[in-house]
Amino acid sequence: MSNGNIEMGDIHWLMDILQNIDVGLVVLDQQYKIRLWNGFMESHSGISPQLAKDKNLFSLFPDIPEQWFRQKAEPVFQLKTRTFTIWEQRPYLFHFKNYRPITGRATFMYQNTSIIPLESVNRSIDHICVIIYDVTDTALGNEESHRLRAELTKLTRIDPDTGLLKHDAWNNEAERELSRSQRTGTPSCIALLRHPAGTTTPQQRQDIAQILTKTLRQTDLATRIDDQHLAVLLPASDEGDVRFFAERVRKMLARQMSNHSSVNLHAGIARAWPGFATVTHWFDAAKSVIPAEHSDPDHVIQVYEKPSTE
Amino acid sequence: MNTPPTLVSLTDDQRDCYQELTNVAMGQAADRLARLLDSYVVLPIPKVNLIEISDLRMAIEGARDDDAISAVCQGFIGSGIAGEALLLFNDTSFSDLARLTRYQGEPNHQAQLELLMDVSSILIGACIQGIGEQLEIHFNQGHPVILGQHCNVSDILKISHQNWRRTLAIEIHYTMEAVNIDCDLLLLFTEDSVVRLNQKIDYLLD
Repeated sequence: MSNGNIEMGDIHWLMDILQNIDVGLVVLDQQYKIRLWNGFMESHSGISPQLAKDKNLFSLFPDIPEQWFRQKAEPVFQLKTRTFTIWEQRPYLFHFKNYRPITGRATFMYQNTSIIPLESVNRSIDHICVIIYDVTDTALGNEESHRLRAELTKLTRIDPDTGLLKHDAWNNEAERELSRSQRTGTPSCIALLRHPAGTTTPQQRQDIAQILTKTLRQTDLATRIDDQHLAVLLPASDEGDVRFFAERVRKMLARQMSNHSSVNLHAGIARAWPGFATVTHWFDAAKSVIPAEHSDPDHVIQVYEKPSTE
Repeated sequence: MNTPPTLVSLTDDQRDCYQELTNVAMGQAADRLARLLDSYVVLPIPKVNLIEISDLRMAIEGARDDDAISAVCQGFIGSGIAGEALLLFNDTSFSDLARLTRYQGEPNHQAQLELLMDVSSILIGACIQGIGEQLEIHFNQGHPVILGQHCNVSDILKISHQNWRRTLAIEIHYTMEAVNIDCDLLLLFTEDSVVRLNQKIDYLLD
């Protein structure tokens, strides 16, 4: 803004604009004492400019976290730079009522703020101006769309019957993990689990999924392949970890579904070796080592060995 | 869209001039960041390029598809020149960044957001004001917008379906000495702004 053309006579209508503009304006000095408090601030806080003047911001509004606000304001004084806060950090700086108390869905006003340096005649920064914007509608719209997107993602990724990932979603995750593992060299494994076919009802399959979910770490992802098979992706785990994991699932299944002795789990484990070009290779490796149905009970978990030279 | 009929272009002199402008501006930005973090900031050489939209992703140095990043953007406009500053943070930078500031322990999602905002306010603000001062343009800045936290580059850039074909991109890759902090500041100007900017630059060159 060029200030050259403002004359003294214009000051009174400039003041009118400051009073009526629908944006909060607060000028603070280095001691955080309020030096200007416009109409917006007066209307929403119920505190008159006379009352606010020369009061310390933090004593007048004890709910403003002082350390947090200073962290944002100090660079403005010291570095002559503007800083910003957005509602995602803290929904508001000043706890004001929503502008639409009747039809609005929020009980308070969401705020973005800009903090700008005010240069004095000797070019030092003795004052800063905090500009408060009402962003309630934006914030609500944004939160709503986030919620919907999360729900949609859940619907497209999660199998509603078992709560496990859908196959496509799992495949995408496995693909990402394969390239990450190959790049960083941290081991990741796929465990393919099989329980006998025909012996389990949909309810039992759901129970198996539930037991499986309980044994998974947060980063592990499981999906159902078919009636008999479940696949689990275990990032940052080597064969030993995964063998231990499969053993645990076996024991838990045996314990919790003891009335169905037929739930006998077999597992094939494969690590993401550098030779695997696609997830299918990786998956097939795990599939290739899964023991036969009536194999020796001591060898129900088998590990795919590293291909000799590839 | 009233895009100019011909694609914008850049002479070698103009490119050097942009680079010099950015050097000065980001020197100020780095100085401020260094003061905020009380740590030495390595001054990089800015890369000035005209890029096609399809190259935007590739323009981001070191940005890998499977690395989790967080990004903030902020629009700026002044004297008919408009653009956006994009700050991309590798998520692995956060624990070191938190150590340099007052945050204790491994920063959670909220603390990372605060760090992201603190650093972007300073880097973006200083850079834009620095360039503006040299060109005698007062840039107004919009509020920063979080493009995404803990996502990958393609997720973030998917958002924009712009109508521009080729534009000016200034890329600054900030790193810090002895600590693992890795962030990219990308200044992107709209296609029509480049024409105006080039005029200003030519004026400086004469």
